[in-house]
Amino acid sequence: MRLKWLVVSAICATFAANCFADDALDVIQKRGTFIWGADQEGGGPFVLPSPDDPTKLMGFEVELADLIASHLGVKAQFAQGQWDKLPDLLSRGDIDCVLNGYEWTPARAAMFGTSVPYYIYELQLLGRRDDEGLRTWSDVKQSADGRKKRIAVLGGSAAHEYLETKFAESVDVVNFDGATDAMRGVELSVDGVDGNLQDLPVWTFFQDGFPALAAVGEPVGRGYYVGLTRKSDQRLRAEINLAILKALQDGSLRRILEKYRIWNATQAQRALEIDPLENFVGDETKSIDANSAAEATETYEAVRGWKVISQRGGLLLKAALMTVALAVVAMPLAVLIGLALSLMRLYGPHWLAWLAVVYIEVVRGTPLVLQLYVIFFLLPEIGVSIHAFWAGVLGLAINYSAYEAEIYRAGLQAIPRGQMEAALSLGMSRWLALRRIILPQATRLVIPPVTNDFIALFKDTAVCSVITVVELSKEYYIHARSTGAIFELGILTAILYLAMSYPLSLLAGLLERRMTKERTS
Amino acid sequence: MIELHNIRKSFGEIEILRGIRLSIRKGEVCVLLGPSGSGKSTLLRTINGLETFDEGHIIVDGTSLGPISDPTREIALATIRRRVGMVFQQYNLFPHQSALENVMEAPIHVLKQPRAEAIENAKQLLDRVGLGDKIHSRPAQLSGGQQQRVAIARTLAMNPAAILFDEPTSALDPRMTAEVISVMADLAASGQTMIVVTHAMGFARSVAHTVHILHQGQIAESGPPKQIFESPTHPATIELLAQTA
Repeated sequence: MRLKWLVVSAICATFAANCFADDALDVIQKRGTFIWGADQEGGGPFVLPSPDDPTKLMGFEVELADLIASHLGVKAQFAQGQWDKLPDLLSRGDIDCVLNGYEWTPARAAMFGTSVPYYIYELQLLGRRDDEGLRTWSDVKQSADGRKKRIAVLGGSAAHEYLETKFAESVDVVNFDGATDAMRGVELSVDGVDGNLQDLPVWTFFQDGFPALAAVGEPVGRGYYVGLTRKSDQRLRAEINLAILKALQDGSLRRILEKYRIWNATQAQRALEIDPLENFVGDETKSIDANSAAEATETYEAVRGWKVISQRGGLLLKAALMTVALAVVAMPLAVLIGLALSLMRLYGPHWLAWLAVVYIEVVRGTPLVLQLYVIFFLLPEIGVSIHAFWAGVLGLAINYSAYEAEIYRAGLQAIPRGQMEAALSLGMSRWLALRRIILPQATRLVIPPVTNDFIALFKDTAVCSVITVVELSKEYYIHARSTGAIFELGILTAILYLAMSYPLSLLAGLLERRMTKERTS
Repeated sequence: MIELHNIRKSFGEIEILRGIRLSIRKGEVCVLLGPSGSGKSTLLRTINGLETFDEGHIIVDGTSLGPISDPTREIALATIRRRVGMVFQQYNLFPHQSALENVMEAPIHVLKQPRAEAIENAKQLLDRVGLGDKIHSRPAQLSGGQQQRVAIARTLAMNPAAILFDEPTSALDPRMTAEVISVMADLAASGQTMIVVTHAMGFARSVAHTVHILHQGQIAESGPPKQIFESPTHPATIELLAQTA
């Protein structure tokens, strides 16, 4: 029995690992939580806010994580991360495991510990019900009108790779950012898209929401969803494997998959499918009935209309607070750093001025998203770990400081030279003159442009979602994708952004009027 | 009180001060006259270090100030600037402060005077220049003449050993010029040491003790105003007086 062999080897691995290094398993058990990462934006059936109570999560991976956690004797704790950045979060040590539809690939197996598969997926080609030009896979290979078919995929997914390797000649691949976005793209024929190669479980979960779409041909490109762990956490991986295999044996995994309508015959055949690779050991689950038709107990129903506002509005409001917190903490920091930079540049010794110029040019000349990424993912490499919120604040502050420095420089240079001369000839030191005479005047001058930047910063906080901070925009995408209420929630989100920026505009106007009054009346 | 020894300064190829020697006694009112470009403003500004010079040295109230190459310049300037005030053509009042705040700024932050004492002094000085009723006005609310009188009060608040005036009435119309000249005459009468760069011949004639004529970066002629105005000897003086007469 392979399962027994696995248990034995897991025990051996446990014993061996105990003798060497710390394993995440010890940390998890000490901490009492199993932290797993996924992206809610990916949506159903994987991980999505529950339609009944959007503060809670649902999805088959959520239930799988609970199952693994209870096997480990701890509680599961969800960590939000952008899908393609989840492996980075794992390397950073922020999470113990990635459970989010990650396919087994040799490259991933080389870099990470990969669990036994918890799901066997296939890819389903989707087309428009009324599109006579796309009825079979041969229509893809040889289009009737000679035009290349435009097929939407989730960028970087297995479907993407499948088309690139097998249909590079005959297909234009169109990258979408989210799975449901791709389906909507086909439905609306966005950008001339003809079809979508979709993960089958996503299609079965969402198909009621897309009545205009139909499956084209048989599923293709079988693959395996596996959990990722750090390579060194061998004991943790062994325990995760045991948990999954146990769940397969006692039928609890099947119950979970059936609940989300993604159980199918393929899952039952898995014992025959799986290769006994090192990190990828198959099971012998004879108890599963290969012919059982899945009975749906959980169906996807889009909550459309304005009802969605009352249900999800509170969550968006909460996310808006995160946006406010990011902006309100980052902006004063940016102004302070910017002021210091402008003083260095204008009044500092040559080398310091040069340093300020280099800083300003580098920061201004590179994208914010890159800076955030470097702060969040590369600093831990040199031993500096920083919480996502503070990484966001720091990134925004650094990015905006370069712009504030230039604004302040203009403000300082606009003060007539006579002001400094008058202050110096009253016996003031240069620094005192700057502090008492020049800066107060320059500050009045820079209020309008700085306020303008403050408003821009409110909107730039959205970029922080790449480093897992869930702020207003990210929260919007999560709920817009899981409910389909793109318009309704979009309006609410826009109103929330306006509610943040408009008072600032008013304040800027007020300060500006007061300032001109001071100068002229 | 103030001595200039062989001051030389060039802007690139052009030598703007060509070996100036000058000596001002305590209580002396000294006027520098000369056509524009003769270097008189530059000369005045070397005394409190707003302009550097290349050669020579200046002694102010016992403190020696060296040329630009002298590493002790900054230290000397810190002392000299507390002892020598300056009044500018464009007044250079601090626009974000009231008249009173302009006057008390340096006493509080440079001399560390107690606030109450600084306010009392500032009020008296503004009263002395005839602006007792304008103490809370901002510079933008005052006329040019009023602003220049606040600037004089601001300088006086530091109790300077000498005051440098850099064309203090050039930006003013005749009526406002008269206001400012009258304040300056009062100052002179009280024994204040003053060096004045001006085109106001009336002031030079009636208030100055000594008049120096600058011509092409050199002092062409010096003497009491009576001698300079009534029997000039240097061609540059004669030409200058002919232009302004």
